[in-house]
Amino acid sequence: MLEISGYAFPNDVHVTWSLMIVMYPYITGFVAGSFIVTSLYHLFGRQEFKPVARLAMATSFAFLLVASLPLQLHLGQPQRGPSVMITPHFTSAMAGFGILYSFYLVVLLLEVWFVWRQEIIERAKRHRGLARTFYAVLALGTYDQSPEAVEIDHRAIQILAGIGLPAACMLHGYVGFIFGAIKANPWWSTPLMPVIFLLSAAVSGIALLVILYQVFARVGRRPVDAEAISALARWLWFFLILTITLELLELIVMAYERSESWLIISELITTRLEFSYVTVQMIVGGLIPFILLAVVVLMNRFLHERVRNTLSTVAAFLCLLQVFSMRWNIVIGGQLLSKSLRGLRSPYEPEAFGREGVLMAAALLIAPFVILWVFDRVLGIEEAEGEDGRGEAPGTETGSAPSPTA
Amino acid sequence: MDPKTQISPAVPSEEVDPPAGPTRRQFLAASVRLSGGAVVFLMGAAASPNEGPEKAAEVKGEAYNWDEHRYAYLVDTSKCIGCGACVRACKAENQVPDGFYRTWVERYVVGMEDSHVDSPEGGLNGFSPIQVGFPVTKSFFVPKLCNHCRATPCTQVCPVGASYRTKDGAVLVDGERCIGCGYCVQACPFGSRFLHPVTHTASKCTWCYHRITKGLRPACVTACPTGTRQFGDLRQEGDPVRQAIENDRVSILQGHLLTEPQCYYLHLDKEVR
Amino acid sequence: MEHARHVFRVALVLIVVLVVFFLTRGFLVPKSYGLYGPYRFDNVKEQMNARAPLYAGAASCGECHAEEFAKRAGGSHKNVNCEVCHAPLALHVKADGSVVAPPVDRSFTLCARCHRRILGRPLKFPQVVLEQHVPGPVQGKVCLECHDPHSPKI
Repeated sequence: MLEISGYAFPNDVHVTWSLMIVMYPYITGFVAGSFIVTSLYHLFGRQEFKPVARLAMATSFAFLLVASLPLQLHLGQPQRGPSVMITPHFTSAMAGFGILYSFYLVVLLLEVWFVWRQEIIERAKRHRGLARTFYAVLALGTYDQSPEAVEIDHRAIQILAGIGLPAACMLHGYVGFIFGAIKANPWWSTPLMPVIFLLSAAVSGIALLVILYQVFARVGRRPVDAEAISALARWLWFFLILTITLELLELIVMAYERSESWLIISELITTRLEFSYVTVQMIVGGLIPFILLAVVVLMNRFLHERVRNTLSTVAAFLCLLQVFSMRWNIVIGGQLLSKSLRGLRSPYEPEAFGREGVLMAAALLIAPFVILWVFDRVLGIEEAEGEDGRGEAPGTETGSAPSPTA
Repeated sequence: MDPKTQISPAVPSEEVDPPAGPTRRQFLAASVRLSGGAVVFLMGAAASPNEGPEKAAEVKGEAYNWDEHRYAYLVDTSKCIGCGACVRACKAENQVPDGFYRTWVERYVVGMEDSHVDSPEGGLNGFSPIQVGFPVTKSFFVPKLCNHCRATPCTQVCPVGASYRTKDGAVLVDGERCIGCGYCVQACPFGSRFLHPVTHTASKCTWCYHRITKGLRPACVTACPTGTRQFGDLRQEGDPVRQAIENDRVSILQGHLLTEPQCYYLHLDKEVR
Repeated sequence: MEHARHVFRVALVLIVVLVVFFLTRGFLVPKSYGLYGPYRFDNVKEQMNARAPLYAGAASCGECHAEEFAKRAGGSHKNVNCEVCHAPLALHVKADGSVVAPPVDRSFTLCARCHRRILGRPLKFPQVVLEQHVPGPVQGKVCLECHDPHSPKI
């Protein structure tokens, strides 16, 4: 039931930005974070990330395809959504969505195409009938596999990664700007917001890959590269430290400056957001993974592989939780306080079913993994070194050609 | 026991105004014209032909030119009695849905150490007696509405340009183009906006644009029994609202945000945000 | 450059997509968009004609109800719009001139909304504690037993 403590403006009692708006930065966070990982290999040439690079790019792609769905589901008039692309109002950060999303989609699509071009050509040659046509169209009718062409591909990948990295960062950073530039809401209004969003996006992306890489390797019966896990854990730790530092810094400065919004914000944190902010975001999601990852990074030499993997995985799960709760606390928390700065409304409870409900959010989270599975079946995520990529279903044959009607 | 205390130049009520409120015939004619013809802007275009010839004779030459007007609103909080007639009039005039408010009235009960604010249903049915847990030194009502800011953040953040500001100063929402994203609702520092529960688009006070462009005043101003709410035109010489803003000590809400509200307040207290 | 053929093909596909997008966009942008700003200018007219005005002000009531109008003009409710207690004009007189009896609340609730003593009203404004002001029980149309709403001051 809706309860107001203190005084809220009469129109301020509705939470208009729902669970879907929490999901959107969460998903674009994975897009940007995964892309950062793949760029560490493709752009900066860090070899320790080679085992993860392709998976990271496919993950970024899979989440990108889902990224616009939470927005469409949230709109009051979803059939008018395309207006953002047709008549964008450029003073609005939200209008940036059309441009940034399309641009990054094109860049990533191209990069995926160049990276997987050899696989496409191989499969075009191997198949017959409809599948062959499909791959032939995908290959744009060219079957050049010469070393010069491969060299050109590598240059293209590098250039695209160079363009794609700032594009991915902007695709997620603008979401932070959407919140940070609202002077009306003191919980949101800060120049740090785009930076915090981007850093926590990196955290979520790397954490996801820590888990996904191990799952993928386990299912494909490939060894988990210890160097890759160590590197992922190290970068995860760095980004986690940066994120938590900035999040805490914001709070500390607000408390110190004690400007007019501080009273209601401290009430917000200690009452409505006590569990999700203090317990989940800071302690369970912040302090504990910080300690676990500190062990993994600082004692890297002394750790058995099993221990390192387990610690990293647990820390990664907790980081995923941290990033989700951070998005929740910002989006929902900011709407729990009234612009009167005198009142809070009761916590928002998302509906279970329905367009903006919990079930829908779960479906949005599962969908990219389904896409990844399809990606693996169609193109094969890992490089075909005499064996085809495998789907996540166990028991798939190794080393044999997929059926013609794949 | 004169209900109207002359503290500042007040706009006299409708019937003693030199340009008197519309007669019933004019009012009905305006309504009929509205359903028939369309008002055309003076952009060098001729006025469109009216439907009935007798109506045309009466409203001839009333093509509206927004360059000639720049509207402003004045609220004298020392006069408000919290009757809620304005909220009821707005709700009827604009078919505002239940639970949402295009305008509302707040009551402030203030002591030296503490203050209490309430707005039961936005003041729709007036206010009830109240007890507070501290000694009260002063109490007053503050009507609120969309401030139609000159540098408004709500139109700045609209991703499709559905929210805009007209040349005569009103901030409006194009209900046909609004996508219902809710960004403007978040961006308004005054809580003036809401998402309409039926159309799922943004909605807010329009200063009764359908009235002011016909020479009428917003419904809330027409209904206010004490002269608290006044509507004026900064482009008209001798307009009382313009004179008040030019000569008296006026306040605006949340001035530090530099949104340049066009609703000005007289006798605003520090407790009001 | 022969080995870069696939790159040119990709570039071509991209250009085609962009051209198609801009062509389509040209058809979808509303005609009056951008005339005076980043909005659909036609909407201004639409808003002007959004609905028929409901309230008209007291002067228009006086045309038919001259007696009450005169009584009110001489009393302390002279600045209270008739439509505050009675219905707005458009609910009483339809566009075609036909008349519908407007609802009017004659109970004490209507008067109390302005005149019951509560915190917030200016002290000089006439307000009473109903239980002390009314000799009997506060119910029904008790205010009308002594006051004429069109010239209420006794």
